[in-house]
Amino acid sequence: MSRLEGKKPSLFTREPLTTVSQPLSLLIAILKSCYGPAGRLKQIHNGMGGYVCLTSQSSAILSHISVSHPVLKVLMASVQNHVSRFSDCGLFTAILCCSLIESFKNLNIASCTVIKISKHLLSLCTDYLKSEACGCRVSVDFSNLETLLCLVRSILISKPACMLNKTEVDHLAVLIVKAFMFTVPCHPETKPILGKCVTVPVKGRRVLDSAVIPGLLIETPEVQFAKLFSVKRSNSDNVKVAVFCVSMSGDLFGPEEGTLTVHHGVSLEMSELDQLLNVGKQLVNDEVGLVVCQKVIHPSLKKYLKDNHVIAVDRAGLSVMEPLSQVTGSKPIASIYSLSPSCYGSLKDVCAKSFASKHFVHLIPNDTVVCSLVLCNRNETIWDELKRACETAEHVLQLTLKEPLALLGGGCTETHLASYLRQKICCLSTSSSKDVDCSQSQYQLIADAFCHSLESVACSLSHDDGEIITDMAYGHCWLVPSGFPSVSNWSDLLLKCGCGINSSTKDLSWRHLQPLFGSPPIESCPKEPSIKVADFMALDCFAAKYNGLQVAVETANLILDLSCIIEDQN
Amino acid sequence: EMSQGTVSAADVAAALAGAVRGALGPRGGRALLVRPDGRALLTRDGLRMLEALSLQPPTARAMAACACRHRSATGDGAKTFVLLLAAVLGAMRDGSPRRAARALPAFERRVLERAVARGLRPHLRCAFPAGGPGAELEAAALEALLEAYLRGRLGPGERRAVALLGCELCARCGARRPPALRLLCDRFAQLHAAAAGLPLARSRVLPGVLLRRDFAAYCPAGGRLRAVLVTRCLRPVLAAPGVECAVRSERQHRAALRWCGGRTEAVMERLRSSGVRLLLSGVKQHEEVIYYAKLHGVSVVECLSSEEVALISEITGISPYDPAGDSVQREIAEAAVVTFCQPLLLGSQRYAHIGFSSAGAFQPHCLVLCAPVDAVNEQHAAALHGAFTMLLQLFREVGQECRAESQNGASGVVSRYSPATETQVATESIACSSSQVSEHQLGGCRDETTAQSSDLALQESEHPDCMSPASAPGPQSKELNVCTDGTDSAGTHTVCERADGINESHRKHPAVCSHRNYSTAVVSTATLCEHLGVDKGPEKAGCGVTQSCPCSILEAGSVLPVGGYFEILLHYYIRQYAKQVQQSAVTVISNVVADALLSIPKALYGTERNGFTKFYLETTEALRKNQPLPVNEKGLESVYCKYQLVTSVLHCVTELLNIDLIIGVKRPLTGDSNLF
Repeated sequence: MSRLEGKKPSLFTREPLTTVSQPLSLLIAILKSCYGPAGRLKQIHNGMGGYVCLTSQSSAILSHISVSHPVLKVLMASVQNHVSRFSDCGLFTAILCCSLIESFKNLNIASCTVIKISKHLLSLCTDYLKSEACGCRVSVDFSNLETLLCLVRSILISKPACMLNKTEVDHLAVLIVKAFMFTVPCHPETKPILGKCVTVPVKGRRVLDSAVIPGLLIETPEVQFAKLFSVKRSNSDNVKVAVFCVSMSGDLFGPEEGTLTVHHGVSLEMSELDQLLNVGKQLVNDEVGLVVCQKVIHPSLKKYLKDNHVIAVDRAGLSVMEPLSQVTGSKPIASIYSLSPSCYGSLKDVCAKSFASKHFVHLIPNDTVVCSLVLCNRNETIWDELKRACETAEHVLQLTLKEPLALLGGGCTETHLASYLRQKICCLSTSSSKDVDCSQSQYQLIADAFCHSLESVACSLSHDDGEIITDMAYGHCWLVPSGFPSVSNWSDLLLKCGCGINSSTKDLSWRHLQPLFGSPPIESCPKEPSIKVADFMALDCFAAKYNGLQVAVETANLILDLSCIIEDQN
Repeated sequence: EMSQGTVSAADVAAALAGAVRGALGPRGGRALLVRPDGRALLTRDGLRMLEALSLQPPTARAMAACACRHRSATGDGAKTFVLLLAAVLGAMRDGSPRRAARALPAFERRVLERAVARGLRPHLRCAFPAGGPGAELEAAALEALLEAYLRGRLGPGERRAVALLGCELCARCGARRPPALRLLCDRFAQLHAAAAGLPLARSRVLPGVLLRRDFAAYCPAGGRLRAVLVTRCLRPVLAAPGVECAVRSERQHRAALRWCGGRTEAVMERLRSSGVRLLLSGVKQHEEVIYYAKLHGVSVVECLSSEEVALISEITGISPYDPAGDSVQREIAEAAVVTFCQPLLLGSQRYAHIGFSSAGAFQPHCLVLCAPVDAVNEQHAAALHGAFTMLLQLFREVGQECRAESQNGASGVVSRYSPATETQVATESIACSSSQVSEHQLGGCRDETTAQSSDLALQESEHPDCMSPASAPGPQSKELNVCTDGTDSAGTHTVCERADGINESHRKHPAVCSHRNYSTAVVSTATLCEHLGVDKGPEKAGCGVTQSCPCSILEAGSVLPVGGYFEILLHYYIRQYAKQVQQSAVTVISNVVADALLSIPKALYGTERNGFTKFYLETTEALRKNQPLPVNEKGLESVYCKYQLVTSVLHCVTELLNIDLIIGVKRPLTGDSNLF
């Protein structure tokens, strides 16, 4: 009730879209300049010093920069949500969404009409992308690694801040695909869950030193390192493993609600330590070879275990617990008062490994779904960017496993979709405009703006004033290197389209993408090129782009629908 | 000084109306609310917008509070409330406010109630085709109601999809009948989950319930299994709060701890051997409990909120199991049957997805809402929750409270919730006898198509001889003495809830509802036939006490096409019935309210040129000629909510007009209904 007083009235803004133009165009400029393999890097840092982030990835940019306009906050939140779910196609979503808002805003058509029609256009796109006849998607064959490698390479190449050369890209792409393959269970019918790839940072080494190791690496301090080699094996020639998630430090913790009165001369700590040593005895009797504890192990117990040739690793941390259970098949033990042998797991072997200055215990399982990617880079800032790229690639492979499709990269999907829409609208528009209750010309204008926005995403791939053109047959996207005069005979100049599927031939006719409005409708449906997976083809994740497209249009619609902003000033 | 107050109140109301008008109706846009912590909230809900405005003028705060109170009760109409209020106050600017305030109750009683009960009745449709007790909402009507409601709450691209989701959820939960609908409405927060970063099209209705917790232990199990609910930790403690435990030796301490562990394991073994494979806990369980659960193949979901625990109890009918205090051997009676239980990942949030077998009418299903941003999900969830609240109101009816005009001026509206099971014996016999009488009377007045005038002259609601003690206003109803002495401060409540008593037993059977002794009878479309001399009829003697509260103004389930039809109809009939009232003050008020009602369709048609004029002319023309209304609109709206809206606005106006002084105080006020 005290807030009856001293509460400031809220700020009421009508027609919020009139105030958003300037910050929106600034945001578009930032996002577009980052897009694609030739994207410009952004150095993000705090004026007060500290951490510097060098990046061109949407996930880093969107989480680091802050905007003040509430409408842009909604837009950024939307893209960030997409990225957190799909990792890829964040910039595509953001650029498309911004372009849609900008071009729809300039149309001066009632927003509810625009929303209805753009929703209709979106459904045309999604239906096409889902249909067998779609000319801009390829199916991914998991028995053929080349497609997977193309997918991963496209992701790595499109992150210029990773500073990778071609050899490094190839090396990492192979590692990432290999690591992914390790996480796919051999017998999915019994356990249909993907394993885990744990990234181990090693800074100060060359990228080419990166490696994939089956099993799990747990970092340990050097002191323990010397004693690690002889591991005790049980009868079955495996190493028995006990994993504890309860503290074994011997400290009394977790005070209960009531009071404990301890008589003189009784030491609960001693009692606890006795119990720990009992546990140690049982572990030794049970022929356990490796004990891993999430928390701290008491030095006496550690020494006792060491003396009995049991390797003890403590302070493993919570993040390791899940892959640890997966790799060993053990159940984390939560009580030092009762130890059930059914909790133990097993490993094929345990050995010591070291990379650069770091030492690890390497847990080698019998049948692994867990692997470790040792990721090396000399530069710490670039390592962060590289890690983000690798995680994106891994996630994309997982998404592709769920839906084995990929879309053509290099801007070709966008231009192809736009030319498909333009052609589709020509045949449909009279009936469609009646369905959504608007005039034919309004429908045409909105559809043009929609296609233009799609093409403007493809146009963002060019950063050097190079022209972007599209062919009239396939609707693919072609980048003209900068510095060439606008000639009529593009066929001589261009070799391959953006995705690398089509080679230029004499009989192709061309269209500029830049001045777009009023472009002539295309009479024939864009042809479907005979898609053979070429060696260096640019591919995008289907699930991510499909979702990004929908999220971009829905977010743009949502923002166009705003009639006022009420800002709490308190 | 009083008229000064009214002028400013009218201005304030107009300003408020200006703020919410942009979000009204199918063409309205949504508001982006930025909360103090910077989080965005998207909404078209008038309640949220009015709250977010953090209004300062006391009159505006009072208006917003009234609007919000109405919205909270009926799930709808905060924006319309403000618009109507502004229109009424605007039109009253010139007249004497005190006179108007005095005339309002009389208007409500003599004109408004009749206009609704008699004028509107022939146009109403019923959303329960089966009718009567145990009414079930028709599937088509449900869709029409939801879609029409969501038009006012969501953007053009989302309405249809969300309405279909709402329909599916209702249908699959069995919530087309009141008990399950009430549970769905009350527990909607637990019955839906949201995922951001996905398009709306990915939203789904899932069987079972999503608990907002991950499994603390998950042991996959196929087929049907038993589940128990606990609300305390299963591991015994050495010393409970306030208990002192003495430790004499180290061995004793170890033994005690070992006993605790052993006891925990024994409980878990007991559960497992009774077929329990799932433990649902309202509290955090000890690590050992989780450990033993894993060892015995029992899945555990812990830290459930009290709402989730209540939901599980309501669905399955079980109460929490308590192993303490007795032997571990006791049979576990209170176990729920679960058809499946599995983890579900929605974005970064993990859920426990559990298929409970229902013990009641509610079939557990939950809704997963997807949208690019959380703010949209919140908007969709709030809109659906509002829609379910609105649907619940559909099962209510408006009854006319018995009263003596000479004694109190306040109009009494009895609103009743009609439960599915009800004793009908007494009512039916009365209804049957009265229907015979009605039939007899119908013959007499069939030719008179407009018989209202003579009827009104009779002052139907005056029953001086029937004012038995039983029919006096009950203890729940507050009286307003606005008429008798104007010095009184403004009272508020004129709606009194009566869930029991005489009114309850007087629910009519559908077969006779159109031939009721006090209600209008519809002979053919738009042909009104009013009873004459109902007061003196022979049924009075036979009916006794029940007769003193004879009819309802609105039947449960009454709906009208959406889009201003209610307002135009009410406008038309208020004008018609106002002609028959002698008091000039009431006539003036009638005209004010009738014209104010038109402001709503005007706002709905908004930018469309001549849209409103055309609509108005077509509709009134049809009414004048007794033709069916020209409706090209599939959406429906609840007449109960609309009628409540009009009466709430009138009460708010009465309140505002009766205020003569605003006193500002520095101390915080204590009160229960201070929304601001």
